[in-house]
Amino acid sequence: MSTVTADWSAAPATPWRERLKNPAWLLVPAAGFLAFIYLLPLFDLVRIAMSGATPWVYFERVFAVPLYWDALVRTMQISFTVAFLCLLFGYPTALLIHRSRGITQMLIATAIILPYFIAILIRTYAWMVLLGRNGPINKFLQWLGILSEPAQLLFNRGSVLLGMTAVLLPLMVLSIYSSVSRLDPGLTRAAQASGAGPIATFWRVLLPLTAPGMGAGFLLVFVTALGFFITPTLLGGPGDMMFAMHITQQADFVSSEGFLQALAVVLLAITLVVVAVAGRFLGFEFIWGGGKLNETHAKPQTDDTATSTTVTERRTIGMTIADTIGWPILRLLSALPGWTGTLTVRLMGGFVIATLIVPIIVVMIISFSKASFLTFPPPGWSFRWYEKFLTDSQWISAFTSSLTIAVISSAMAVTLGGLAAMGIVRSRIKGKTILMLLLVSPVIVPPVVLGLSLYSLFLQFDLVGTIGGLAAAHAIGGIPIVVVIVAAALQGVDPKLEQAASVHGASPITVFRTVTLPAIAPGLAAAAFFAFLHSFDELVLSLFLSSANLQTLPLRLWADVNYQLNPVLAVVSTLEVLLVVGGIILARPVLARSRAA
Amino acid sequence: MVQNVAWRGERPGGSTTHAGGTSNQSRTVIGSSIAINEVVKRYGSFVAADHISLDVQPGEFITLLGPSGSGKTTLLNLVAGFQKLDGGAILVDGQPIHNVPTHKRGFGMVFQSYALFPNMTVTQNVAFPLRMAGVDRETADRRVAETLEIMRLSEHAQKNPNQMSGGQQQRVAIARSIVMRPKVVLMDEPLSALDRRLRESIQIEIRDLHQTLGSTILFVTHDQGEALTMSDRIAVMDAGKIVQVGDPVEIYRHPNNSFVAGFVGESNLIDAEIVQKRGSTMTLKNRAGFVFNAESRAAIDVGRATVLVRPERIAISNEPTQNSIPVTVTSALFLGEILRIEAQMEGGETLLIRAGDSATRHLPDVGDVLHASWGAEDCWVLQ
Repeated sequence: MSTVTADWSAAPATPWRERLKNPAWLLVPAAGFLAFIYLLPLFDLVRIAMSGATPWVYFERVFAVPLYWDALVRTMQISFTVAFLCLLFGYPTALLIHRSRGITQMLIATAIILPYFIAILIRTYAWMVLLGRNGPINKFLQWLGILSEPAQLLFNRGSVLLGMTAVLLPLMVLSIYSSVSRLDPGLTRAAQASGAGPIATFWRVLLPLTAPGMGAGFLLVFVTALGFFITPTLLGGPGDMMFAMHITQQADFVSSEGFLQALAVVLLAITLVVVAVAGRFLGFEFIWGGGKLNETHAKPQTDDTATSTTVTERRTIGMTIADTIGWPILRLLSALPGWTGTLTVRLMGGFVIATLIVPIIVVMIISFSKASFLTFPPPGWSFRWYEKFLTDSQWISAFTSSLTIAVISSAMAVTLGGLAAMGIVRSRIKGKTILMLLLVSPVIVPPVVLGLSLYSLFLQFDLVGTIGGLAAAHAIGGIPIVVVIVAAALQGVDPKLEQAASVHGASPITVFRTVTLPAIAPGLAAAAFFAFLHSFDELVLSLFLSSANLQTLPLRLWADVNYQLNPVLAVVSTLEVLLVVGGIILARPVLARSRAA
Repeated sequence: MVQNVAWRGERPGGSTTHAGGTSNQSRTVIGSSIAINEVVKRYGSFVAADHISLDVQPGEFITLLGPSGSGKTTLLNLVAGFQKLDGGAILVDGQPIHNVPTHKRGFGMVFQSYALFPNMTVTQNVAFPLRMAGVDRETADRRVAETLEIMRLSEHAQKNPNQMSGGQQQRVAIARSIVMRPKVVLMDEPLSALDRRLRESIQIEIRDLHQTLGSTILFVTHDQGEALTMSDRIAVMDAGKIVQVGDPVEIYRHPNNSFVAGFVGESNLIDAEIVQKRGSTMTLKNRAGFVFNAESRAAIDVGRATVLVRPERIAISNEPTQNSIPVTVTSALFLGEILRIEAQMEGGETLLIRAGDSATRHLPDVGDVLHASWGAEDCWVLQ
């Protein structure tokens, strides 16, 4: 907001009437909302963490107690491994989408994107079913004769890594795919025509050109994994405690006031440092996966020889490394038959798709089970669990409160985020990137940290356990979704169309109503749907901010997953999958139109 | 083997003096012959290449000319190996190549989008084919330097492609395609992204380069002017077929059919009745009853025929001359070096006339009556 005023003072000649028309005003509601409910609590969190005898006393304890230090190291190790695994399996999958055509491409893309919109809790639950003692994997291994009795596949480091990788893979695939699909297809042909075989083309052309996408994907996954809480809690054993889990555990003790906040600040600081370093190299655009915003002061192409030489030098170093390390391996690999590459892409891509889709399908099948415990294949079929869900007043009331909260939250996010997107795209203020960074930053703050910081604010204003309070908290994460989608839709609107309407006599409001709004309507609809889903699936904030008399659906699920793993959860999961699929099918014509525009 | 070709220090000399069809005696031909036999390519039910046959001579500059969707790019992609044949065969120096993957065909290629690797400098882009072929560092450096000098890019060697203008980028792309001195260079509409003036100067550069290198060049364009300027021979394509192959003069003066006549240059196609045929001369009568002679290789000698008269071959005067036809001006434009006149003949057919500008000629008004005439050698009976 200070940037806004700074801009006005730079143009003192503008009459106040004109100043009121400045689209930058549209940023004020969202900025105010986020400042109050998001930035203020985070600052307060830091304040409490430093309120000990000396400002650093709690932090010293965090690093002095081996329990927390080990958890920190472990969290880093797990996040790094997960990001690496996602990259390893995500790249071939992105290539597979890129290389397939027509209906196959659509099916593969759907198989990747669909799980992305299903709640992490539900996807983790699906893995618990899959890996459980009576789950399909154990049954299959026994059937093969590899195992004589069911093995404990859950609650170890392997299951944590598997679950987290599966949950985060779509993020990586989408990130890489967006950079692969932007490539000029002529480049690979040019490489082939210049005598480069498939492997050389991959190594010298494809890989270097998609490196930014890989980097962005790796960091997004790494940063998200750092704050992960749900998946490691459900799939991990005692030796797999991640840092975020310690925070929620400490939150149960009143005595840990101060120290608890210090833990959260450490997690937040690490996340921000990683993002800052990454943004320095990749540009902060990697967070929202978009292109650069057209900054008014920035010149896109400068003939600055000084910068160009450094770029060249950096590239040359990269190439030297590629040459010294890569070529010997390449020479070995080029001895393999030509179809090896294609086969690898297909096998790894196919494996990834199976990893993403099979758990969901297994859960859907189990929801029709007759058995009173989780077993696969089900011994018989029945609707008893659906009946149980529909007749249980607790489930139904959780469902209705979730629905109410999600609708309110989505409306808040669309209003605030939509206005902010217009302000960002249409105004000529400086520091757009910084403003955008503020608007989308809630996606990188670990939910545990956000939940903890909000808790004291909510106590102060008596918002704990209220529908409005939860909706507002969920809107913090909804705003980034809306801003990114609507800003992209707005940037797709040809300014010439608006000029044409206004030349032919339309007032600014009429221009907006007749030209701009119809053009961004598909984007707004999609944004509303995704903001709705975000709130409907939200668990971690709700854990901190709800009370005994306000249960949301994810909270009910969470309680049941932890205490009695039964097929009612499969019913809820199936309904959620149907909701997402239905939403996407309904949104498809709308989305297709927006893509065509 | 390639090193033996003496092109070091040789500068592209002079402008395009090429008259078409004749090849320079002094140049070394390193190019391959390409035989395209009954090639078929289908996309679903759409036939993109319909039994195409074409023989390309070693060192020839041959242009595939046609509107978009005529199959010219498909044919080029088949030769390059980006797509698989559905029928027929392509032979290079007598060897079938359909089982040879693109990167082992040893061709050079220039793309419409330049397709320069954005992660490499100009030098690295040009050196790419040499690296892929495993040429040693020293030779590679020398060859890159030579090629950059020939393309007048030496001072841009360390730049990134995206810091350069379109024309410079395309010259880098050409440098990359010739650095191996390949036997065949494929060019896919390489000039269509450039503005007119730049296009003309690079046309001349490519033409001269072809003379120096002696490679076979297969060039795809939809611009008939470009095809006429650059080619030894032109293959005109329409709807997945080659409709005529010939040198530029032949294509322009003696088109096979009305498609070629209409696609290459401006044309008047006059519907006429055959009066009689004597040797290669045919006497015809148009709808208005105007009787004239025309050159013909057509097999027919009775009935109706379509006669091509190029607009610049029509003479006009204000007074009737021997065997002239009166026409009424419907539009007249001054284009600088020529006057472009549209006029109506008595039968209602429109005649397009391009008359050179001269001091004695003034621009006619709409409604003026002029007298148009042409000789037998200015007319061509389409088959």
